[in-house]
Amino acid sequence: MNGGMSSVMLVARREIATHIRTKAFLLGLLITAVLVGGVAFAPKVFDRPDSYKIGTVHSQQLPLKAAAPEAEFEWRAFPDEAAAKKAVLDGDVDAALIDNTKVLTDGEIESELGVLLQSTSRELKLGAAGVQVQPLQMVSVGADTRYQAARTGIAVVLVVVLFMLIIGQVMMVAMGVVEEKGSRIVEILLTSVRPWQLLAGKIIGLGALGLINLVTILVVGVSASVVSGVAVDFPPGLPGIVAGVLVWFVLGYAFFATLAAALSSLVSRQEEVGNVMSPLTMLMMVTYFGAFYVTSDPTGPLARVVSLVPPFSSMVMPVRMAAADVPFWEVGLSMVLMVLAVLGVLSFGAKVYERAVLRTGARVKLRDVLRVK
Amino acid sequence: MLEISELRKRFAGGPDAPEGKVALDGISFVVRPGEMFGFVGANGAGKTTTMRIVMGVLQPDAGSVSWQSRALEYADRRRFGYMPEERGLYQKMRVADQVEYFGRLHGMDVAAARAATGDLLERLGLTERRGDAVEALSLGNQQRVQLAVALVHDPEVLVLDEPFSGLDPIAVDALATVLQERCRGGVPVIFSSHQLELVERLCDSVGIVSAGRMVASGTVGDLRAVEGRTLRVVVRDPAPGWADGLPGTVTVTGDRHVLLATDGDDQEILRRAMKAGQVEHFGTEQPTLTEIFKEAVA
Ligand SMILES: Nc1ncnc2c1ncn2[C@@H]1O[C@H](COP(=O)(O)OP(=O)(O)OP(=O)(O)O)[C@@H](O)[C@H]1O
Ligand SMILES: [Mg+2]
Repeated sequence: MNGGMSSVMLVARREIATHIRTKAFLLGLLITAVLVGGVAFAPKVFDRPDSYKIGTVHSQQLPLKAAAPEAEFEWRAFPDEAAAKKAVLDGDVDAALIDNTKVLTDGEIESELGVLLQSTSRELKLGAAGVQVQPLQMVSVGADTRYQAARTGIAVVLVVVLFMLIIGQVMMVAMGVVEEKGSRIVEILLTSVRPWQLLAGKIIGLGALGLINLVTILVVGVSASVVSGVAVDFPPGLPGIVAGVLVWFVLGYAFFATLAAALSSLVSRQEEVGNVMSPLTMLMMVTYFGAFYVTSDPTGPLARVVSLVPPFSSMVMPVRMAAADVPFWEVGLSMVLMVLAVLGVLSFGAKVYERAVLRTGARVKLRDVLRVK
Repeated sequence: MLEISELRKRFAGGPDAPEGKVALDGISFVVRPGEMFGFVGANGAGKTTTMRIVMGVLQPDAGSVSWQSRALEYADRRRFGYMPEERGLYQKMRVADQVEYFGRLHGMDVAAARAATGDLLERLGLTERRGDAVEALSLGNQQRVQLAVALVHDPEVLVLDEPFSGLDPIAVDALATVLQERCRGGVPVIFSSHQLELVERLCDSVGIVSAGRMVASGTVGDLRAVEGRTLRVVVRDPAPGWADGLPGTVTVTGDRHVLLATDGDDQEILRRAMKAGQVEHFGTEQPTLTEIFKEAVA
């Protein structure tokens, strides 16, 4: 016979089968994939590496490339200082080196180029005078900041993606619950499945759709980054970050979706969903803004505290993990607290849902549902 | 045997009726295996409330429902077939997918659910619409899908709330045939209806409910016996006062006198009638279920 779990799976499968065929789902998937792909290519388009045009008059080309391997240098020789001056003023070159002794610029010189020219020329002259200069050895004793820009970028994209996916799937759970309640399908369903099975199946099915979406986004995002070359800037812990995102999505979604199912089981009409869900929507928005704030200050005290407190941690922690290195114990503690919160919400939500879902008609008061019979 | 005993249910009233509304006032009846039980009663009498309690959708304030001499449980209800008064289907789901899905939820494997679905859709005349979304069907056809959903898992008991309403005569016959077959297979069938001729034609027994109480129940024959037979005599152009002293009432239409009597010596009545004039009709009449119903709920 049919065990409890297989009923859950049947319900979940129906949710997946009905939604995956819809235009809305496919279109949504396509749009997010294109957007994320676009984001991965954007740095290549907008953020070209530094390149300088330098004019020379009676001067040799300095070995700038050795000092700044990522920058591009283009050299142009001019017959005299007047010609070089005109080129600088016209913006044809960024600077002009005259007789190996002075540099012409239009206004203040860009600091990086100035430092480069200054130090390279000094080194050259010292070398010519027979002085060997040991280059300074750079040792970082703080966090590795090489990837900071990329990490912040990933974190920002993550916030948006996690929020959109969670709120989208959670709303679908709410609308699905009301569809079944309002049309009285529950009356037939509940003669063959338990309320918790129906609830679990719906949450799992719609969550699986969310995961399909998320995995698509991650795959498209990472592959597009590799293709565009942005991926070279990615921090080495990327697989860990990706795995973490999946786990946090599941936890956050389970939390909010269960509450959404419980709240929406109180009403019988789709028009009432927005109203009954508003406290939960508010909570999700607060979580979202919190996570967004953390992208700019991932190591501050607020970030550290909020990334431990459920349900905020479900969005704040993955973002913080992407934006900065988080001590292992903090991640562990945050996850344990979130799992406990999810378990609590599940038992509360299942109770509310079970008691309210057959009470059609006027909106059921949460107080009445919770009152022990 | 499905046994409903002493069910009571009061709904909480609104601000205008703080004392609430008694929907069921100790209703009791039994439905035996292979019995088709017609549940009739005026609007608001309590039929739907009773069926919802049987199916576990509502909890009674008092009383119980038992099946096979044990208190009815969730595991039993999973093998019941139920058609609620307020129809509910997934509007966007395809007809065959939907029926099959409910079969699967009741524990059938894929092959069995698919076969039963195909068979039922055929019998209910829905084979051509099997790939359509439910919302694209007419109301009557949606109702047929609803019936298929109630029947797909070959239920042990059928509880159908107004299954015939909204069906065309062809569909009524198709459904009646399906229900009679299930019944012959030993399944107790209980259905509510306002179409009393249909109930009279199909049902082995009938329960008449009024204001939350069962006011009459039994086979249609039993109910008639309680109600009593009526003797009907038509005499043409009799002498005035011919029926003086006889039981019953006389109505006069033109030169025809019609005597209706529920008791008295029929031979004596016949003799008097023949003496008085030309007897055109003499016989006993069965009251229709409608007449019994009106009498019972009056
Ligand atoms: N959810 C409810 N809340 C309050 N009163 C209710 C509720 N459901 C039913 N009632 C009341 O209970 C009584 C019995 O209703 P029920 O629906 O059982 O009647 P019925 O016999 O099925 O009528 P109909 O033939 O119109 O379907 C009615 O007076 C109805 O107003
Ligand atoms: Mg009714």
